[in-house]
Amino acid sequence: MAFLKRFSKSLFLSLVLLFSVATTFEVVAQDGKALFSQNCASCHAVNKKLTGPALAGVEDRWPDKTKLHAWIKNSAAFLKTGDAYANNLYNEYNKVAMNLFPQLTDKEIDAIIGYVNTAAKEPTTTKPSDGDTAAKGEDADNSLLFGILTLVLAVIALVLLQVNSNLKKLADQKEGFKTPEPVAFWKNKSYIAMVVVILFLVGGYYTTKGAIGLGRSKDYQPVQPIYYSHKVHAGVNQINCQYCHIGVYQGKQATIPSVNVCMNCHLAINEYKGEKIVTEEGVEINGTAQIKELYKYAGYEEGKPWDASKAKPIQWVRIHNLPDHVYFNHAQHVKVGQVACQTCHGEIQKMGEVKQFADLSMGWCINCHRETKVQFKDNGFYSIYEKYHADLKNGKLDSTKGVTVEMIGGTECQKCHY
Amino acid sequence: MKFSFLVLLSFFLLIGCDDIQRKPGKIYMPDMAYSRAYESYADHSFLADSGINYNNQPVTGSIARDEELPFHLSKDIAGDTTNYVASKTYKYNDDSSKALDLNEAERLYLINCAICHGAKLDGNGPLYKGGDGPYPAKPATLVGDVKYESMPEGQMYYSVTYGKNLMGSYASQLSKTQRWAVIKFIKSKQVKVGTPTIVSDSTKSIAKK
Repeated sequence: MAFLKRFSKSLFLSLVLLFSVATTFEVVAQDGKALFSQNCASCHAVNKKLTGPALAGVEDRWPDKTKLHAWIKNSAAFLKTGDAYANNLYNEYNKVAMNLFPQLTDKEIDAIIGYVNTAAKEPTTTKPSDGDTAAKGEDADNSLLFGILTLVLAVIALVLLQVNSNLKKLADQKEGFKTPEPVAFWKNKSYIAMVVVILFLVGGYYTTKGAIGLGRSKDYQPVQPIYYSHKVHAGVNQINCQYCHIGVYQGKQATIPSVNVCMNCHLAINEYKGEKIVTEEGVEINGTAQIKELYKYAGYEEGKPWDASKAKPIQWVRIHNLPDHVYFNHAQHVKVGQVACQTCHGEIQKMGEVKQFADLSMGWCINCHRETKVQFKDNGFYSIYEKYHADLKNGKLDSTKGVTVEMIGGTECQKCHY
Repeated sequence: MKFSFLVLLSFFLLIGCDDIQRKPGKIYMPDMAYSRAYESYADHSFLADSGINYNNQPVTGSIARDEELPFHLSKDIAGDTTNYVASKTYKYNDDSSKALDLNEAERLYLINCAICHGAKLDGNGPLYKGGDGPYPAKPATLVGDVKYESMPEGQMYYSVTYGKNLMGSYASQLSKTQRWAVIKFIKSKQVKVGTPTIVSDSTKSIAKK
């Protein structure tokens, strides 16, 4: 019955629309969407509360169509008439006054409502998504397989060696040679020497590797208090790195964004509808739940105005750390040097969970300083290097090779250690 | 017996080679690696516990060098529009010696605003994408909409500073000078395009607001 009712209503509405089209040639049905987008969409959505209420079913909620029209055209004047429903609505939405639309005709308003009604019936689209965990699993399986294979081969080799020596002993006995009493292999000197050499090599390899690795945290990928995906934000949604990390252009620190920066978008975006998110361990993450987690830090209750003073900072785990005896400045590299973030941080826009891409060792720094060309062109910062500018102009320096960071003192100790 | 031990050992070695590294590496000479001074973002909560007064905020009322004077209008409480209306007369202190860099302003606009309001200022950035993006509300059409073409600079400054409707405050990302530069950039684009094409809101309602 309900369906019939709705159907008849939409039929009636479309008939009204059709009639209006036929008579006036002013308003056509698809104008509803355009009109909605132009006039309403900045505060209203069809199925979601924004600054104003969700518009689905707006016709059923209002007692009278003429009242609804009057409200839309001039909400301030309509409020003064003392209408109970309108005043309740006004109070419920924190007394945010609705804009006035006196230029909208009744037909245009009907077209908008017609669009709202059709849009409300459309099922919300959900995108099917598949994780790419299968490929990772295969990798792990392979290394295990190789390990087992090596072990099996080693066992076979040992058995064969044993068989060989037994056969030799038998053959010797037949020939009548006297064989010396066999020495147990843990007393055999050549065996012991071999084991010592192997232990020395393996132990030495791991000791050196461990010693070099001290103080380096390449591939460090800590669990963060909120699962924040750089892939979703910087990759899929194309948010510029500097939207959140303001400091890279202004000073030493890249700066961790405050909760206010998160809430700039998440005041409105309160659910996640994109592709499936999976942690490194393969656990699926509920994006919407993570946004609610942010709301806890922000002290924000949905539907109420947000009081930013209630926000608590999120204690993100720092990944990239340089020892205290090294000085590094982001602005020098990003603003002056025009180095892309990805050069040192890897393809951040593809990382679900950020991991340390470079080992941040001194050799790594120095290599880059030796190879990288300084951005001399149109860069006031380097205008004092007059000799190099002159050499580049008169061809003494190959302009294709340019001036490297090393040439302007980029490998001097005191550039970074002081 | 020996072989089973070997198998077990190699098994543990393989398990040990987990490729997800959740812990940072080891450090030698920690006194050289960790700063004795309080670096940015260091935890200093224990200072308060031991009775030392430390606040990482600048003293109230301090003004950075070369920075604009503070915005004297405070944020309206919910449901009130007094200061929003009052901000219409607020103006940038046009001092020719401090010309705002519009190229830098364009860069800032593209980073901070274009994500919603669009690189063409058409209110259709990658987050909205004509309604297909994750952002549910339509961002303001900055060029071509009478409401925003005729909005005074001061009112724009109020909105960027404190936020308006679903837009949040950008005071944490943009300094006062940067905010003014971005607004001047938007105004310069509006002048170039000229006559507004969309009449979404009557001038009457703006006059009233």
